[in-house]
Amino acid sequence: MKLKTQLFGHNYEFKNICEVMAKANEEKSGDKLAGIAAASAEERVAAKVVLSNITMNEIRNTPAVPYEEDSVTRIIQDDINETIFSEFKNMTVAEFREWLLDEHTTGDMIKRASKGLTSECVAAVCKLMSNLDLVYGASKIRVTAHCNTTIGLPGTFSSRLQPNHTTDDPKGIMASLMEGFSLGCGDAVLGLNPVDDTVESVARLLKMFDEFVNKWEIPTQYSVLAHVTTQTEAVARFNAPMSLMFQSIAGSQKGNEAFGLTPEMLTEGEDMLLHRGTGTGPNVMYFETGQGSELSSEAHNGWDQVTMEARCYGFGRHYHPFIVNTVVGFIGPEYLYDSKQVTRAGLEDHFMGKLSGIPMGCDACYTNHMKADQNDIENLATLLVAAGCNYVMGVPQGDDCMLMYQCTGYHEAQSLRETFGLRPTAEFDAWMEKMGFSENGHLTDLAGDASVFLKK
Amino acid sequence: MIDQNELKAIIEQVLGEMNVNASAAQTSAPASVQSVSAAQTTVDPGMIPDVTQIDLHTQYLVKNPVDKVGYQELKNHSPARLGIGKAGPRYLTLPMLEFRAAHSAAQDAVFSPVDHDFINQMNLFSVQTKCADKDTYLTRPDLGRQLSDEGVAAVREKCKKNPTVQLYVSDGLSSAAVKANVADVMPAIIQGLQSFGIEVGTPFFVEYGRVGVMDQITELTGATVTCVLIGERPGLITANSMSAYITYKGTVGMPESRRTVVSNIHDAGTPPVEAGAHIAEIIKKMLDAKASGTDLKL
Amino acid sequence: MKEIITSVGIDIGTSTTQLIFSKLTIENQSSEYVLPRIEIVDTEIIYRSKIYFTPLRSLTEIDAEAVKKIVRDEYAAARMQPDMVTSGAVIITGETARKANANEVLNALSEMAGDFVVATAGPDLESVLSARGAGIDVMSKDDRTVYANADIGGGTTNCAIYDFGQLKGVNCLDVGGRLIKIENGRISYIYTKIKKLAEDNGIHINVGDTADVISLRKVCTLMANLIAEGLGLGETPAPQWIYTNDGKGFPASVPPIKCLTFSGGVAEAYYSRDSIGNDVFKFGDIGVLLADAIKECPYFKKVRIVKPLETIRATVVGAGVHTTSISGSTISYADGQLPIKNIPVLKIAEQDEESFEKITESIRSQIALFKPDGNLEQIAVSFGGWKFRKFAELQNLAEAVTKGAEEVISSPYPLILVVENDIGKALGHALNVLLNHSKAVICIDGIRTRSGDYIDIGEPVFGGHVLPIVIKTLVFNS
Repeated sequence: MKLKTQLFGHNYEFKNICEVMAKANEEKSGDKLAGIAAASAEERVAAKVVLSNITMNEIRNTPAVPYEEDSVTRIIQDDINETIFSEFKNMTVAEFREWLLDEHTTGDMIKRASKGLTSECVAAVCKLMSNLDLVYGASKIRVTAHCNTTIGLPGTFSSRLQPNHTTDDPKGIMASLMEGFSLGCGDAVLGLNPVDDTVESVARLLKMFDEFVNKWEIPTQYSVLAHVTTQTEAVARFNAPMSLMFQSIAGSQKGNEAFGLTPEMLTEGEDMLLHRGTGTGPNVMYFETGQGSELSSEAHNGWDQVTMEARCYGFGRHYHPFIVNTVVGFIGPEYLYDSKQVTRAGLEDHFMGKLSGIPMGCDACYTNHMKADQNDIENLATLLVAAGCNYVMGVPQGDDCMLMYQCTGYHEAQSLRETFGLRPTAEFDAWMEKMGFSENGHLTDLAGDASVFLKK
Repeated sequence: MIDQNELKAIIEQVLGEMNVNASAAQTSAPASVQSVSAAQTTVDPGMIPDVTQIDLHTQYLVKNPVDKVGYQELKNHSPARLGIGKAGPRYLTLPMLEFRAAHSAAQDAVFSPVDHDFINQMNLFSVQTKCADKDTYLTRPDLGRQLSDEGVAAVREKCKKNPTVQLYVSDGLSSAAVKANVADVMPAIIQGLQSFGIEVGTPFFVEYGRVGVMDQITELTGATVTCVLIGERPGLITANSMSAYITYKGTVGMPESRRTVVSNIHDAGTPPVEAGAHIAEIIKKMLDAKASGTDLKL
Repeated sequence: MKEIITSVGIDIGTSTTQLIFSKLTIENQSSEYVLPRIEIVDTEIIYRSKIYFTPLRSLTEIDAEAVKKIVRDEYAAARMQPDMVTSGAVIITGETARKANANEVLNALSEMAGDFVVATAGPDLESVLSARGAGIDVMSKDDRTVYANADIGGGTTNCAIYDFGQLKGVNCLDVGGRLIKIENGRISYIYTKIKKLAEDNGIHINVGDTADVISLRKVCTLMANLIAEGLGLGETPAPQWIYTNDGKGFPASVPPIKCLTFSGGVAEAYYSRDSIGNDVFKFGDIGVLLADAIKECPYFKKVRIVKPLETIRATVVGAGVHTTSISGSTISYADGQLPIKNIPVLKIAEQDEESFEKITESIRSQIALFKPDGNLEQIAVSFGGWKFRKFAELQNLAEAVTKGAEEVISSPYPLILVVENDIGKALGHALNVLLNHSKAVICIDGIRTRSGDYIDIGEPVFGGHVLPIVIKTLVFNS
């Protein structure tokens, strides 16, 4: 393994893979905040050159956190299919990149390769991909999953309906979710971030969702995004109906500890839903991730945010999720400075998720202290659809009044479907037609009229 | 050709749907008719109504809804941008413009500085953290938690030593919040403390301040209780929201859980004057209980 | 965090006396990072008494001792002590309120039934309480339409209209099931207005006559028509003389009724007629005949008749569950002054809030009305306060109020302010500083009053954040 190169005659030498991986990243304010970013544009390219020559085997043998110290590393490494890994282990990262992009390499071949890739391998190749590489590479990979409906099939594009409310007011939540469904949102999941995340409140909200979805026979999944232990307790103590179990996850044990999370809790949660959930399965888990979260909890072990993010997917896939999305611009400008960095991160995360074999979606979003606006997020969403993303978020006009950030609106999913000739999941598409909200994949005049749901 | 009265009626109806007083449109209606018949562009002296003054709670733009009254009532329970209709699968123009206007206010609140005339008017002197500009402030939270050397010197020189309560103001993520609320919150806190017979130190202003700098200020002034009024990260509903963070005997590096927070202070949230009165009472309870944050039961 | 307070409702009506206990759950509805917003989030009736015939000593006097015994026995049966009860209301309703010793009974009970239980009466209030007990405030909101309730008791019929959850009007008619009484097959009592009603229509009935079902049915048909007219469903408006205490009909502005509920004792007969059978004088009055007449009355067929949440218990449920509210959560009050009861409200009219001078003047000029024997009684000064949001404005407001209320400030009573806008704590601080803490100040917000109201302010609950409030509005249509 060589850690030295020259660029324009200047010498560049890196201490180890950790430094190469960090400096090979496209510019991110989070890597700068961590003090690990390339000092110059040239140094960044030098790191990419060095990385391109490292083998997959060398990458695998340098996990971001040692195996003995970290439950995430153990899960990632133990889940590897060694036969498949051995087929790729001698490839350099450059060769692996070209294999991925090769016209003879199909989506199924890549999905097979996923079984043999650790998250560091996934992150390494990502660092050598341009934005269009990330779009093209990801577009080859279709990852489907099934809970009550099937998500991720070719020709479909889905959305999460996110009817958040500042006080969890049931009527306010209803007003929002009715409008979302009437615009064709919510075929991935009806998912609320609760303000009151007590067990009682979570159970109450789940019952409300269950009643609504059953009353209107909506073919979808629903979830209330509290901590996994709260949701498990809501099922155990209150018989709360639940089709998807949510949890925020991180790329290191320490990062998960900051979320109050252990792998055992996820195993228990998945088990609870497989036995007592309302969904058919086999995929009953819902995860959220986002670059920078490990650094913010000082759990990055000196590694860069792209690698730590990839490790979330390696960890998450162990629990066979139905959906996973990166909340890409939520964390703020100290991690992702502007729309350029958010766009890059969104494409990276989506690609890495799929290359990890995960049914990937994206919360393309920004906060008001970032240099980004709604146009940037519409751009990212459009790129993601081109990349074959399974789903994005939907909130009223892109403005989440509770989380105080902006993402894609109720109107975006359908606009993107119509632009790209896509449909929601087949079951949901049929439901929209039955309700009169769409005809042949286009919205009708009735779409957007939430008051349809007020009929007795 | 459409006649004058018809056109006027249509304009009134449209403005009515925009929740704008129709009488404001009356003077402009005949003028626009003239311009149509004259088939040339003339400048009308009239004013286009302010789109940011439209009440989003009552705005309802869905065409021919099945149950307008019913949904309007339901929508009243949510601050979200609902009942906004559609143009094809996209947004109608008015809500699109309302959204952009709200975002512009939020961005300006974050990226523009607090007017120094306002700081002088409030009788505050001004110090800065180690951030040289907004960009550094936004990307280097660590520097926003430390006063500059000049700042340290100014606080040492100008502030009353060992006050019971040290009150100060900081821009944080919204200069608009400072401008909108300080003139009401600050005197209300001071009057409340006066009403309880509690002594207040010399207030001042910190530019590019993160919450954590309050602990350095506590150590510099020797205050028992420190309270910062700081601009919150703006949402689209308001860019004017302010928070108060309050500590009892804070120290640099102490756990965040030792801060007591009162957030959502703005005209449409917690009214600033009442918030100030409430904060004064929290400070009194803090002094009585000798604790803050999760250690203090309110 | 939750806190549960107990409320009692006691209704001494013309025909029946009842009592309920309910639990009111108070909870902070806002997150820990913003100001508290403490509200009543749940109400639950935990005990319903038996329904007693109201004990009378004579036609003009209530048997106070017997009423007291009923209440005492029911407290014991419910395992309640007076000091466990935080709030509630005793009301003497209908014709009973006209008995000579009604006040004496109220006072006796008020002392016994808990520290904060209040005595109140008045036909308008009864109309509102029974409508809320029947549940039409909520029903009209849920169904988004106009509901009326007619609470047909022994002596009066109390009507109220709600549109979309908002009270639109009340009235009270002297029509009830016990205005003619029957003993041993003979008429033993006829209320004067009913006698007149019969005579005017050529029906001759007298005390001592054999109770003739046919002529009494005729009288009941006339009474049913009067109720329909009182609700605006008849061919003509109800005649003025039938309104209780020379009251009036609904204000002209009330919307047309779409749904109607009946409550009160007669409604019990109306909704469960089959269980009563053929003995129409079973209860010693014409209640069953009146229920039949209402069922047959064509005027009521114009609207949808709905079953209320409560029938015979509507008023007592209204009194026990719906009278108590909670002050705003950031308020200011001096220690050791509460509870205080039955304080008349001096209301500053909205137009007088235009200027600080007018506020001062409005208080000064109205204070004269609160000196029944030349000495100022304890009063609460009340206003909206919506215009005052700025710190400087609150200072001026505090000054204007202290100038106007000089007489209160020099009296032995605390200075009580009741404001709608959320400025209670800041205004309280401003007043304390202005008055140098030389005067006890109680400054509460989040409470709307009307001129002529009375207010009770209870002892602090929920860690001292809020005060339970009962507003007794005696006149609603104004």
